[in-house]
Amino acid sequence: MRSLRYFLDIYRVQIKNNWVREAVYRSNFLTSVTVDMIWMVVEMSLFTIIYANVPTLAGWTRPQVYFFLGIFFTSDALFTTFFQRNFWTFSDLVNKGDLDILLTKPVHPLFLALTRWMNITSCFNIILGISIAIHFAPTAGFEGGIRWFLAFFWLGIGLISALLIRFAFSIWVFWTERSWAISKLYYQFFSFASKPDVIYPPWIRYLILTIIPFAFIGSIPARALLYGLKLWEYRLIAIVLFSFLLLNTFLWKKALNRYQSASS
Amino acid sequence: MKLGWRIAALHNGLRDATAYPIEFIIEFLSAAIAPAAIQWVLWYAMFKIGGAQTIAGMDYHSMIHYTLVSILFTQIRGGDHDFELAEMIRSGQLSNYLLRPVGVVEFVYLRGLGPKLFISSFCILLGIVIGFVSGMSPLRILGSMLLALIGNSIHYQISASLSAVSFLWEEAYSVLMVKNMLVSLLSGELIPLNLFPASYQWIWKSTPFYLYVFGPAQYALGHWSDAQFFQQVLIGGFWLLIGWGLIRISWGLGIRRYLSLGG
Repeated sequence: MRSLRYFLDIYRVQIKNNWVREAVYRSNFLTSVTVDMIWMVVEMSLFTIIYANVPTLAGWTRPQVYFFLGIFFTSDALFTTFFQRNFWTFSDLVNKGDLDILLTKPVHPLFLALTRWMNITSCFNIILGISIAIHFAPTAGFEGGIRWFLAFFWLGIGLISALLIRFAFSIWVFWTERSWAISKLYYQFFSFASKPDVIYPPWIRYLILTIIPFAFIGSIPARALLYGLKLWEYRLIAIVLFSFLLLNTFLWKKALNRYQSASS
Repeated sequence: MKLGWRIAALHNGLRDATAYPIEFIIEFLSAAIAPAAIQWVLWYAMFKIGGAQTIAGMDYHSMIHYTLVSILFTQIRGGDHDFELAEMIRSGQLSNYLLRPVGVVEFVYLRGLGPKLFISSFCILLGIVIGFVSGMSPLRILGSMLLALIGNSIHYQISASLSAVSFLWEEAYSVLMVKNMLVSLLSGELIPLNLFPASYQWIWKSTPFYLYVFGPAQYALGHWSDAQFFQQVLIGGFWLLIGWGLIRISWGLGIRRYLSLGG
């Protein structure tokens, strides 16, 4: 319990530091919001064009897909706010030896490595995403009411999934030294997360529900809220996320053994 | 017109891009496969799951064919050298280049073009192989690649003009990101542009972005006649002129404000 409080205290300081930094770079707020809004518009436009040609997509109506996009945007904005920037600098930790400093601190180095930088301005995108989901919820057939509390749970699942997947893509920098291509690969695969999983052919769907579980970021949460999931799907989510946690922990330990402290 | 430094810049760009060959291959494959897979998934959902027969005059096989051919051209468009220009202005590194007897905008372009020319040669060969199976003419593939390379130049010109925003605003990378997002939708990389509803067709027709992927794919697939192809090459030439003018104006105005102090 004391340990948890210790971590929370550190996290509070991290938020404060990041808030101060964001206050200095105020134009960044406008930039970040504009870029993300355009991205949302482009994603929605793609489906608008598709729905101009077909009435449903794998049984999903236009409002249902927009509802999914709202959930996906929110889940992604949560990840962007709290974690994304840390992964941009992750390779520097290894290649420039910046990890040395984190290893000397009396806190788990991974906790510091993944929480040091935040993108507070992306909070606005969380609001935008939720607004889209709320707007299309009634026409999408979402019951609403008390079920909105479930949305918090599923957004949490989306956030944890994104964190685990991104980490699994980033950790290889300890072996490859350059992580640019693998990071790009992550973002290429990430486009699979921006579509409902029901539209995928069986084997791709299998991949994005197991080995590269991008469907957990937005699609599964949206489907769980709209239709509910089957028991085996709950089990699958638990098994996959737990497996990723184990894999990442294993890789992290191996990576630390390999780390040579480039700066020293 | 000195060719020496231009060839050196092309060579240098290619060597730089392939210095880490595994990274280069991963980047190439991921950039090719992911957008194609997304397209295929959409066609699968619309035709196989949804049971549609034709959409915008195209059946499932035409869509797949478009997707396969578009991969050849999605690899040619763009690049990250516009971000490099913006960063040079923001960080003050531009000063190093201003001292050299070369045009910085052209130098950065040629360095970025090096790997694109290498990829386009590979894509031509791949296209010819696909053509043997699907009946596409090798001449049409060559013509399409020419159109894609014109598109690549136009794209860089627009990007270089936009990167001049860095002279005024240090967050100019966002302008480039917005441009890239619009290009991904309006170039035909995500979907064939004839899927746009008739009332919205003017949107992509009024930009040069369709010359990057959709145009070359249309010619390669035989949907455009030779006359239409030459018309599009002329339109491409017109956009190149506009792009050249935009660079002259934006960089001419921007360089006057450049303080070489860094961001």
